Amino acid sequence: MHLSDGVLPTAVAVGSFAASGLCLALSIKKTDGEELPKIAVMTSAFFVASLIHVPLGPTSVHLLLPGLVGILTGWSAFLSIFLGLVLQSFLFQFGGLTALGANGLMMGLPAWFAAWLFRRIGARSATGAVVTAASASAAAVTLAALILAALLATGGEDFFGVAKIAVAAHVPVLVLEGVISAFVVSFLQKVKPELLRHPGGRPKA
Amino acid sequence: MSVTVIPWWAAAFVVAAATAAMASLWLFSGFDKRGKGESDVSSDSDADASVPELDAAGSGSSFFHRWDPRCKIFSLVFFSFVVVSLNHGFGLFAGLAVAAGSLVVAGTPLRAAARRLSAMSGFLLMLLFIMPLTVPFHEGDRRIVLEGVPFVPFNARGFVLAARICAKAVIVALLMEPLLKTAPFSVTMAAVQRLGVPVVLCQMILLMYRYVFVFRHEMQRMWVGMTVRGFRSRSGWDTLGHLGCFVGMLFVRSMERTQRVYEAMLCRGYTGVFPSTVQFCATPRDWAWAALWVGTAVGLFALDRWQGAVARFLGF
Repeated sequence: MHLSDGVLPTAVAVGSFAASGLCLALSIKKTDGEELPKIAVMTSAFFVASLIHVPLGPTSVHLLLPGLVGILTGWSAFLSIFLGLVLQSFLFQFGGLTALGANGLMMGLPAWFAAWLFRRIGARSATGAVVTAASASAAAVTLAALILAALLATGGEDFFGVAKIAVAAHVPVLVLEGVISAFVVSFLQKVKPELLRHPGGRPKA
Repeated sequence: MSVTVIPWWAAAFVVAAATAAMASLWLFSGFDKRGKGESDVSSDSDADASVPELDAAGSGSSFFHRWDPRCKIFSLVFFSFVVVSLNHGFGLFAGLAVAAGSLVVAGTPLRAAARRLSAMSGFLLMLLFIMPLTVPFHEGDRRIVLEGVPFVPFNARGFVLAARICAKAVIVALLMEPLLKTAPFSVTMAAVQRLGVPVVLCQMILLMYRYVFVFRHEMQRMWVGMTVRGFRSRSGWDTLGHLGCFVGMLFVRSMERTQRVYEAMLCRGYTGVFPSTVQFCATPRDWAWAALWVGTAVGLFALDRWQGAVARFLGF
């Protein structure tokens, strides 16, 4: 769920721009300079993948992918996610211009969390990697929902009800996201396992 | 707490009017998709995946096209941030008028603006529906009760809060059209860069914008392939498995393409920056317009706070 303009108090919107800026700077610093154009092109792929709608009962949801982006790009994930959100806002109005900072935190921090989790306990065995990917993705969506709720709650007690319902709405999404991530990672393991071993596709020296 | 009872026919009228407005917005914004016949092949599950172009109306001659892009971007973004800080109806109505006027002056396709609005509509409708029911009652809140259904806790203050958010979201969304679609995207990003956004980010956004269309095309071809082989997207384990492989394959192909693209860039002498041929030259006229926009925004803000003070003074 992307926040639109006008939901957050202006101080929070501006503050989250500052926080996002710090995270972006860290993300760029941790990314090799010559990797940056590659991250941009990969982000286009993530962006396109997020346009896929997964049928869910009578409705459908689009993929959020914070977990997978984290697993595949490591430290660059925040940068990738933030730029993807910029483009989503520019092209589709998914997420408002003034809420970009908040939306960046909401998706970018969980991506880092998933990257850390996957790096920490992932790829020891084939099954282990799939299970970790699924739980890392689900955990990332959960974290995103919690950050969303925290941001909404800054609006005062009038927004508590919306925050609770927004968290509840993420429950089916987190299950779906976990399952899809498991399938994607198990596919990548068979087809191009080096993508999972080196975030950003680059072998470590 | 005061209670207002509204008769059922009035409620029915409001609901019917709102439904009709939403339906016409959706129809209007969705027609171009069906018109091009693009979604026939891509089936229902990625019917929303057509990517709009930001350059489409970049060569017009409206006021926004002629305005210096740096001044334009700064003014409109500043105006947006001020709009989201407004608290009262008057400023928001004025903002709506400015946004709608800008949209007409810019002459960008109205359908694109309608698509922006319908993209937000789910989120905003959720707020409009949930907030009146969940906002806690305070001293002086008005409770609206539907005739014969006294147990629904519909708080008028919650509805006003949600409506205010909708107005802000609509204003900023409408301003995005003159902001982004009245210059070629490369010029817009060059201007953003001159305004102090790091070069790295601007270049990455330009690259992404370029490759989104490539990958979207690739995805569509793969989707056709799957459909031809009998895949149908429906709820269930199988669909999830196939979509997982689909996304995985998309990533594998994209990463391989990423590597080739990067090598090709190196071959053509890429050293970390794209050479830019965009020159900016702001005339006093451009500055004057920027000053007018910023002044209007500041004026709206002052009026809004002043209106708040007056309202408190009068005890509203």
